[in-house]
Amino acid sequence: MKCTDSLLERLDPRSKIISFLAIIFCMISTPITRLKDFGLYFLVILTMAFVSRIKPAQLFKRGVVLIPFVLFIAMFVPFLKEGHVLWSVKIYAWTFSVTYEGVWTFLNIVVKSSLSILLIVIASSTTTFSDFLKGLDLLRIPQLLIMLMSFMYRYIFVLLDEAKRLMRARSLRYFGHRYKEQFRVIGYMIGVLFIRTFERAERVYSAMIIRGFSGKTISVNYLKLSRLDFLFMAGTFISLICIVSGLIYKIEHSKISDTHLWHGL
Amino acid sequence: MARAIKVLNLTYRYPDGTIGLNDVGFEVKEGETMVIIGANGTGKSTLFMNLMGILEGDGYIEILGSKLNNMNLKNIRREMGMIFQNPDDQLFCTTVMDDVSFGPINLGWGKNEVIAASQKALAMVGLEDYETRTSHHLSFGEKKRAAIATVLSMNPKILLLDEPTSGLDPRSASKFINILYTLKSQGKTLLIVTHDIFLAQEIADRVLVFSEDKHPVAVGNYKDILNNYDLLLKNNLIHEHRHRHADVVHEHEHQHGHSHKH
Repeated sequence: MKCTDSLLERLDPRSKIISFLAIIFCMISTPITRLKDFGLYFLVILTMAFVSRIKPAQLFKRGVVLIPFVLFIAMFVPFLKEGHVLWSVKIYAWTFSVTYEGVWTFLNIVVKSSLSILLIVIASSTTTFSDFLKGLDLLRIPQLLIMLMSFMYRYIFVLLDEAKRLMRARSLRYFGHRYKEQFRVIGYMIGVLFIRTFERAERVYSAMIIRGFSGKTISVNYLKLSRLDFLFMAGTFISLICIVSGLIYKIEHSKISDTHLWHGL
Repeated sequence: MARAIKVLNLTYRYPDGTIGLNDVGFEVKEGETMVIIGANGTGKSTLFMNLMGILEGDGYIEILGSKLNNMNLKNIRREMGMIFQNPDDQLFCTTVMDDVSFGPINLGWGKNEVIAASQKALAMVGLEDYETRTSHHLSFGEKKRAAIATVLSMNPKILLLDEPTSGLDPRSASKFINILYTLKSQGKTLLIVTHDIFLAQEIADRVLVFSEDKHPVAVGNYKDILNNYDLLLKNNLIHEHRHRHADVVHEHEHQHGHSHKH
């Protein structure tokens, strides 16, 4: 879903990281009972998707991949949270009760996580991972964390390939008998993968120190904040201030009052 | 010609006591291409690790006139680059450009200098348009070429190449050999480890043969070494096998020419 030359793609990763984190922070701070605010956050996210030339269908398609994980975590909350019972069912000796507080907590988790996931989809569609890491580096995020993420991204596929090769080698010599013993074999495979990873780590470290590594990774910085970045950040912050301060409700309310006044006249 | 590398009585034991190198000694002149051939597990890669100061054996190593020790290790690594057998070990950054510029940045060069050196190195291996590509998504041949660019960007005088053509298809191998020819013509000192005697035949000025007891047994002109079938056979570099020419079935060792006596 890589977009070409959209507004968000042209932006410096720092401005996107700051803006997206601000949105996530505001969403987390907003009480779930202010559901209208979340509608407005959703509108802000949709606007960002629009300027990124990401179609809503594409946005939701990618988001849906992660949402089941959130649902899995949140699905038990309505039953576990104590409070005023909304609905209950008895199955044999067990009574399952859904509480008001549980439903609100469930909504709190699902709504906030889903909106955050949509933001992540937009960010990953408009920023390459290396640019994202460079952005984090320039924002003074600890080097160790950035290195960890960089190595994880670089070697996760290499390790997956290695694991697949081990699985293939096993399946070619496994004919469906003595299945209990297979757990032991899987344990061996995990061990082998660990040893290979450790040895690879040693070789990678050797390659790094040969090329002058002294504990700090530095890369060529070609990123530069432009006027467009500042405009984007300003636009995001103004939208957030309007939502958080409830300014939009006030405008809406004053319109209604004006209408009443007009009718009164 | 001045001496680029001198190794005397180098012995290395792994932590478990296994011998990695057994009384190794040889010399390489500046601008020379020496190919080290030997069967698997004869200590060729271990020798490179010792030359780069990653592993520390007993003996004497001299690089460009300076004895290798902890004091001048960094200076020596500025002058000598190593290309690993597996390019995935060498390409650890998220993009090709980050990998190629890693060395020059750590050498403390300025931004423009780093970019120019990296672009020049990428152009030299024919990967000009690969700057923003992710290393993982490259083919094996491209990874090998990117790996050599990571070292070329530091402009070293000596290059150590560990099994440079292993795992490459004929076209990629040919491209890689062309890169080696270019480096040779630029006066770089090349030390190449391989068990591919055809590569040795292509590029070597001199050949050093490692025996299976991790000790160099012969050094000399590539023609003399590669035509010494007894030496190659004894050191597991060629093997005897039965084969058939029309109605004649007979057994002999692999030879480099197409014709041989029946």
